[in-house]
Amino acid sequence: MRLPRFFGKKRGHRRTGSQAWGSFGEGLFYCVLLVAGLGFAGLLLSGAAAPEWRVNHEFLETPCTIIGKGLARYASQEADSAGSFTNKWQPCLRLRYRVAGALHESWSTALPRSSRADRPTAIAQLAAWRLNDELTCWYDPADPNSVVLERGYNWWLWLLMLLLPGALIVFGGSGLVQAIRVWGKSEEHRAASAGLPEMLDPMDHSPSEAPDHPGVPICDDLINSPGTILRYRLPIESPESWTLLGLGLFAMLWNAVVIVLAVGAGLDLLGGTIDWLLFALLVPFVVVGIASVCVFLRGLILATAVGTTQLEISAHPLRPGEQYDVLLGQGGSGTFRTLTMTLELVEQATFRQGTDTRTEQVVVWKEQVNAWHDIHLVPNARFESRVRIFIPHDAMHSFTSEHNAVNWRIVVHGSPERWPAFSRIFPLIVFPSQIAPLASKDRSHRSRQEGVL
Amino acid sequence: MSQSNQALVGSPTVSVHFDHSHRLYEPQARLTVRYSIDGIADDERVRAVELSVLWYTEGKGEEDLGVHFFERMTDRERLPPAVTVGSFVSSLPLSPLSYEGLIVKVRWCVRVRLFFTDGRDFVSEHVFELGEIPPAQTKPDGPAIVSV
Amino acid sequence: MKTFTHTPQTSSVLPETAPRAFGKIPVNPFSTRLTRPGQIASLNCGGHFLNPNDLIDRLQFLGGTAVIQGPHGSGKTTLLMHLSHELASRGDLVACVRLRSSRDALVVFRSIIRSRPGTTLCLDSWEQAGFMLRKIIWLAVTVRRCGLLVTCHRPTTMPVLMQCQTSPLLLKRIVEQLPNHEQRRSSLIHEADIQDAFLKCGGNIRESLYDLYDRFEQRVRLHPHTRT
Repeated sequence: MRLPRFFGKKRGHRRTGSQAWGSFGEGLFYCVLLVAGLGFAGLLLSGAAAPEWRVNHEFLETPCTIIGKGLARYASQEADSAGSFTNKWQPCLRLRYRVAGALHESWSTALPRSSRADRPTAIAQLAAWRLNDELTCWYDPADPNSVVLERGYNWWLWLLMLLLPGALIVFGGSGLVQAIRVWGKSEEHRAASAGLPEMLDPMDHSPSEAPDHPGVPICDDLINSPGTILRYRLPIESPESWTLLGLGLFAMLWNAVVIVLAVGAGLDLLGGTIDWLLFALLVPFVVVGIASVCVFLRGLILATAVGTTQLEISAHPLRPGEQYDVLLGQGGSGTFRTLTMTLELVEQATFRQGTDTRTEQVVVWKEQVNAWHDIHLVPNARFESRVRIFIPHDAMHSFTSEHNAVNWRIVVHGSPERWPAFSRIFPLIVFPSQIAPLASKDRSHRSRQEGVL
Repeated sequence: MSQSNQALVGSPTVSVHFDHSHRLYEPQARLTVRYSIDGIADDERVRAVELSVLWYTEGKGEEDLGVHFFERMTDRERLPPAVTVGSFVSSLPLSPLSYEGLIVKVRWCVRVRLFFTDGRDFVSEHVFELGEIPPAQTKPDGPAIVSV
Repeated sequence: MKTFTHTPQTSSVLPETAPRAFGKIPVNPFSTRLTRPGQIASLNCGGHFLNPNDLIDRLQFLGGTAVIQGPHGSGKTTLLMHLSHELASRGDLVACVRLRSSRDALVVFRSIIRSRPGTTLCLDSWEQAGFMLRKIIWLAVTVRRCGLLVTCHRPTTMPVLMQCQTSPLLLKRIVEQLPNHEQRRSSLIHEADIQDAFLKCGGNIRESLYDLYDRFEQRVRLHPHTRT
């Protein structure tokens, strides 16, 4: 068997370097991580988790009597300010209890509400216990001299056990699988390899595709909401919703921090001490907190005052050459100077340049479906209008890949009289021709529109 | 039949023949490709040939690709210099269709990749069209471009 | 893993574009596929080709560790890619990694672990690594007795291998390297466009190429006689 060469000859623009050895090295790296994670998990399980589990499940309960008190000495792992290592003291109790009729006496160091501390503190902790007090204890049936006075779980220990070795195992395991998959394979071969579950490749950002239609996005999210008059209600994809949500979260979190700081400063003030640094820090925090609340409330008022925009459609996904009914519903109050509906085709390309990710969008096709003027809205009654959209017979279908997309959408643009103008985007999915839509559609060739108020 | 050649001085030549005129195919059509490999020097040996039918994106974004058909040949009896011609058939999918957008283009191609025993590889690409989507047009004053 | 890969295409020959019923739209020579780092030869500010061998020799003269410095879109990554290929051909390359996230740090350390003394590690976007990570990488390559070649926007304490600068002439020379340049020269992209794009984009070559891409796309559709 001939081993791959480390490096090949360089001729012109052809690639040098050995993919095989590179993949081997990469696989070895992930293997080391996986083994490290498994070893770490094993150590934690055997050293900490398993004993704790045994205490809670296998130890037997029995009454006991305190017959002695003492201090266990531990050498400290931390140096004090003078650079010398001092001892830590752990209070412990000598207990007398019965196991299968036989009397046992043993020291227990796992006392409730106690910890390793300096000697005076440890002695003070011991004062809480009195000789000849009757308590309940649990002993190890495999070793009756091992006894504890408290049971339970250190949840932080379990979390630590899951997080650290878990991360190593997941990262190492997925990387190893991926390295094996792409071992010595060309770009086309890697792309053509049968897909493993996406969880094994956590960096795979490929969007979901419609069945039997590579590159066409699924429309499940667009057809899971039934309409009241037409078949489906379209979800809205509007940046203002996310912006409002983000503002709200920020205002909430920021002001929570402000409150904590203010309470601390207030308690200090009541206690007669003034922390000038804290007060100085509090001023800009309060200003930002108030501003964030104002901005959020303004956005909320705008969003609610203008009212919601709803679109329903007679069928989905759409196909080139077909017409579809669309029902527009606009809520709110006041007068709208104009309300327009346009059908758009948008291209989106993402490129990672240097340290930045650059995303560009271009509207390559646009058609105004309809425009309404001077609409007077009243509360509890919404403006409705039914229109028809036509997808050109030679239109490009919806397309999505990891970095590029071709998207169809309906955009409703409104200009209220007393509020800022808004745009609300409703995504659509257009399949290639010859695909049957999920619902019936009107094949009339004449455009009609009805206005209902 | 439609033929395309790619040649570079001192490098192999791969010729590809498509069975449809103008290399234009409808979705779910049957793609039949004949290829021939020439120009391999006597001191060079091919250890594998990969045939693929794939789409890729081009434009202002990162290049994405999706492989529809893939075949790897390592059997010496099927490789040059024993065999320098071959063919394969693939039923094309419903999507994605070839598209000439402004910043996003979708192109279909046949790739023939040769792997040599000294570790280097050579790839030859031959574009064809799936579907008849017209190119995206621009307005005289340019498209509305938004950088996000 | 953000290592650079050089897809061995048939050099400067573009994939053929199929004839279309609507007219043959030529391949846009400014698409990212053809202008991404590594596809175009490295040039200096005066538009002259940079000899990778000379720069590698200079790197060795500087002690094996240096930085390629320059503003955004000035060709740092392109130059790094070419130098890494030259190092690879000599058998002196550890790896070429683009630093974008903390995950890339693992790739870097893995590469250092399997490196040989005297080889060079190439890192793109050195400023993406935090202060501590930069120190740790520095220490690791020192222990392994490897060299380090990085790109950075800001001045560093490392010796400068190349200060990348841009000019309209550089952009012009880059455009001349693009496929089918001679065919398009008289009809679609003129020298005035190159100058205008350079000024409009503040000397950023990458942005200038994007701008030329847009101009090419618009004109190839507005002027059918330029189609082949």
